[in-house]
Amino acid sequence: MAQTPFGRRILVVDDDRGLRHVLSELLQGDGHTLATAGDGPEALEMLGDGSGFDLVLLDIGLPSMSGLDVLARIRNMDSPPLVIVMTADDTSATLLEAVRRQAYRYIRKPFPPGTIIDVVNEAGTPASALSIEVISAKPEWLEIVAPCTLEMADRIQSFVLHLEAHLPEAVLEAVASAFRELLTNAIEWGGKFDPNRKVRISCVRTKRLLLYRISDPGEGFDIDKLRHAAITNPDDDPMRHLQVREEQGLRPGGFGLAMTRSLVDDLIYNEARNEVMLIKYLDEGE
Amino acid sequence: MRIVERRIGDVTILQLIGRLELETGDLILRDTINRLVDDGQVKVVLDMKEVTRLDSAGIGMLVSKYLTVRRAGGTIKILHPNERTDHLMDITKLHTVFEVFNDEESVVKSFGGAIHGV
Repeated sequence: MAQTPFGRRILVVDDDRGLRHVLSELLQGDGHTLATAGDGPEALEMLGDGSGFDLVLLDIGLPSMSGLDVLARIRNMDSPPLVIVMTADDTSATLLEAVRRQAYRYIRKPFPPGTIIDVVNEAGTPASALSIEVISAKPEWLEIVAPCTLEMADRIQSFVLHLEAHLPEAVLEAVASAFRELLTNAIEWGGKFDPNRKVRISCVRTKRLLLYRISDPGEGFDIDKLRHAAITNPDDDPMRHLQVREEQGLRPGGFGLAMTRSLVDDLIYNEARNEVMLIKYLDEGE
Repeated sequence: MRIVERRIGDVTILQLIGRLELETGDLILRDTINRLVDDGQVKVVLDMKEVTRLDSAGIGMLVSKYLTVRRAGGTIKILHPNERTDHLMDITKLHTVFEVFNDEESVVKSFGGAIHGV
């Protein structure tokens, strides 16, 4: 579980009184300050210009005013807090609309208590929140452009994998790990963790395959010069590249490509190697 | 990630809880093991049962700290790898590096003999 960096001012918006109570108790116990609202109009009145709160935990299925409409109104405030959408509605249309309206994270109900605590504690501050540019928000073709930060990698992974939540667990885990590796590679090596640089991500789904394409703003790399990566190790020495990384002053790691190749069916780079496509073939019914 | 630390004899058991990933748990693990090595505690068990996510940076830190402890004359052993951890260790060929156990008594007993540095 993540450490609490500081207490957040949180508004829980849900028409389920029991859930409001449970979330309040849970998050207050973790050092946060809580307020609750049972519907959209009450929440908007409490929020005012948004400056009094850091985070809103927002249900989508609210009476009288949809949570997605509340989200849109919050995003137009002078000092919008971050919004974590929580819903039992698992349709891709709802998720994609939440992405388009700049939800910070998306959590599917029901969720274990530890999940909400982790998501709240890992959230950045409203002032540091960066936007995801949505190019296409169709279930079969999601395309976004996002700043190169590690926090953004968590957000993107959360959204993208919720779209595939119906997949068998083993397939989803493999895709999640591979996608995460390639995305963090793009953000770290291509984008240098620079929020002014952007990574472009396309997720295409057909009945028989999942395809993720990630383009980073870097110059690419020469695979023959990747002595700091595990893929160049001889079979009998799976740690040789670590010595190279130590000599080059790189952090421990270098297993990403080796892992990714084993987790998906195809991994295709463009000539410069600053764009990559990850493909997972699906059995019928997956 | 957080780490719960306890000792059985001269064996230190670190229970890892949460995400062992880039800039998340990897740095906590690094600092904890560096401190143990500084204190001369070089018989280390990593209980991985409650690791919820593991990426290549986390695996890289596991291996890096394995080398640190080996150079200090000790070793790190893995306890309770979940299915995912086990799979990733297999992919990265780290089963040939780490000794892996599924019960605590066995891993503690396995430290009975002398350990030599590399």
